[in-house]
Amino acid sequence: MRRPRTAGTRGAIRTGYLFSLPGILFLALFLAYPLLYNAWTSVHDVGLVSLLGGSAPFDGLANYRATVDDPAFWHAVRVSLVFTAGSLVFQFTIGFALALLFARPFPLNGLLRSLLLMAWLLPPVVSGTLFKWMLDGDSGAYNALLRSTGLGALAHDWLSDPGTALGGVIFANIWVGVPFNMLLLLVGLQGIDRELHEAAAIDGASAWQRFRLITLPLMRPVSVTVLLLGLIYTFKVFDLVFVMTGGGPVDATDVLSLYVYQVFFAYFRFGQGAAAGLLLLAVPLLAAGLYVRRLRREERAGA
Amino acid sequence: MSQTVGRRAFLRAAGAAGAGAAAVGLGGALASCGSGQKGTVTLTWWDYFTAPHFQAGSNALIADIESAIPGVKIRRRAFPFADLNTALTLGAVSGDLPDIAIIDNVAMNSFGNSGLLADLTDRVKAWGQASEYYHGPWAGCQIGGKTLGIPNNSNCLALYYNTDLLRAAGVKPPATWDELADTAQRLTSGDRFGLAISAIRTEEGTFQFLPFLWQAGGDLNTFSTYGATALSFLGDLVEKGSLSRSCVGWTQQDANARFITGRAAMQINGPWQVPTLKKADLEWNVVPLPSDKTSATCLGGENWVLMAGGKHQDAAWEVVKYSQKPSALVPYLEAFGDLPARSDVAHSGTWASDPALELFISQLPIARGRLYGAHYTDASTAVVEAEQAVLTGSSTPGAAAAAAATKINRALGRQ
Repeated sequence: MRRPRTAGTRGAIRTGYLFSLPGILFLALFLAYPLLYNAWTSVHDVGLVSLLGGSAPFDGLANYRATVDDPAFWHAVRVSLVFTAGSLVFQFTIGFALALLFARPFPLNGLLRSLLLMAWLLPPVVSGTLFKWMLDGDSGAYNALLRSTGLGALAHDWLSDPGTALGGVIFANIWVGVPFNMLLLLVGLQGIDRELHEAAAIDGASAWQRFRLITLPLMRPVSVTVLLLGLIYTFKVFDLVFVMTGGGPVDATDVLSLYVYQVFFAYFRFGQGAAAGLLLLAVPLLAAGLYVRRLRREERAGA
Repeated sequence: MSQTVGRRAFLRAAGAAGAGAAAVGLGGALASCGSGQKGTVTLTWWDYFTAPHFQAGSNALIADIESAIPGVKIRRRAFPFADLNTALTLGAVSGDLPDIAIIDNVAMNSFGNSGLLADLTDRVKAWGQASEYYHGPWAGCQIGGKTLGIPNNSNCLALYYNTDLLRAAGVKPPATWDELADTAQRLTSGDRFGLAISAIRTEEGTFQFLPFLWQAGGDLNTFSTYGATALSFLGDLVEKGSLSRSCVGWTQQDANARFITGRAAMQINGPWQVPTLKKADLEWNVVPLPSDKTSATCLGGENWVLMAGGKHQDAAWEVVKYSQKPSALVPYLEAFGDLPARSDVAHSGTWASDPALELFISQLPIARGRLYGAHYTDASTAVVEAEQAVLTGSSTPGAAAAAAATKINRALGRQ
């Protein structure tokens, strides 16, 4: 049975709406409106001329067709997938290993941990520029290191070779992303009840068994969250790649976000750019949906 | 048939559905500022001259204009190079556009066909100074039979060489492709490359590559043949080690840095490097780009443009006209280290006394513009991707040129 609403509860509901009004307005103005506008653009033939008051005829799915017919788009999808997968695998494993390390008390633990966070706090333009210099073929720090340690044969033009440029960019992105992974995983590790480990140790479980049978299963929810967030962040990375290679050499590091940027601001094909942008949005949106569902389930389980 | 929906009508409807009140409030607030006091017009002026040494020259010109033209005040805003075109594009959407802008001459391709720029044809006719400008820069402002801009300054590419290194090797500066390849190879030793160019995947890379295409006797519409010739010439330089493969990541600034530090014995670059090179600790000189079938160099520079929707076009035109008076133009361009686009001032001031600048001026008559129409950027990307594919060894010159030619023809055919 529904409870009859009294004047008091009606007032409370009104106050509630009033409180959320600024948020709703903000979202409508800065999220819903641009998204709707983008969706509108994606089904119209919008170029520079139509922006200046000319007409933008409705052209249905032509922009989407032009996008999926463009080999450069599928190339960018592939590059983005490799970039994301490569980044996530290493960010997560290295982050996990570091979290295990920092979960133990040792001298200077706090200091080292905050220093490590620097990588995540630096603006991507700065870290991108640093890696561009360090990976330079002629005067880069990595080649200097290789030469000075007798490994000069391995010295390479990392970012100028289409075969290694994507690897170089992923390498930089791993460095950027490790601290974020470490931090969240560390919080997860600290949430595991110490007594579980102690009890298992008394029962004769080895360190490896304890890790495999206690730590890993208990870390699953946190890990999935970290990977989903990582996927969302990594799939839309733009600045780091833009600074390091600009998508080149040739098109070796042309990730989707760069492709969309080019269609928009170099070719001025706004309709097609909007269509490609919406397609680009699909993957992070899917990940975000999964993440939110997960969050709800956890909340329910926790309640 | 396709159904036409006014974009603004849609925006208004969508805006109203979401947050009409807020949007209208914001728009009203933005629209209400900008009108100055009675009797004076405040003109907004956009350019991309952000570097510190450009500010004194810009401020001096603006002060000069403000004192010479009564009732005109100027509010200048400088954007980073890559942001100006984006700002103009976004301004076209939001209506927030300047009265005057100084834009890259290659941007005339995209903006010239868009209706963004004011038609100056009648004003220029009344002004009567068209014949003072060099052919290339002037032609770059004529689109669809209309005059859409006034050249501000011009530049082009030439070959810089390190005098000491060439003397030590006993070679003369090269004048042909064969000599360039030969000299570059002889000057290569240790961690020094014979030649430095910029082959980065931006317009800078295309700017540096096009002269090779033209010198080979071709143009964008014959890329599969002559593009292959130019690509294989540059590919050979990399193959022989006289040109660093890293140049696919270098801007022209990076090439100049290699040249200054002696890591490149020669470089292809523009006159804007002259002030930096004069301060550097090396002996250098500059000669025309080596020729193959013909001589050619690429024309760069900026144009003054007015916005078609501007409310103060008469005042803005007065400002542009004033800026072109020798008494205002010469000190302005000298402060920038730029070359004039007008022949009547080209033989005065620094340009007559500095041999390096004189050399660049002597090349302006053979400098070619990049006026290829609204979809030039697609073609430009195809060109520089082909160059990168060859220089990095991931494609042969023939295959890269053929692949690029398909894209170029599609881009240039889509007018």
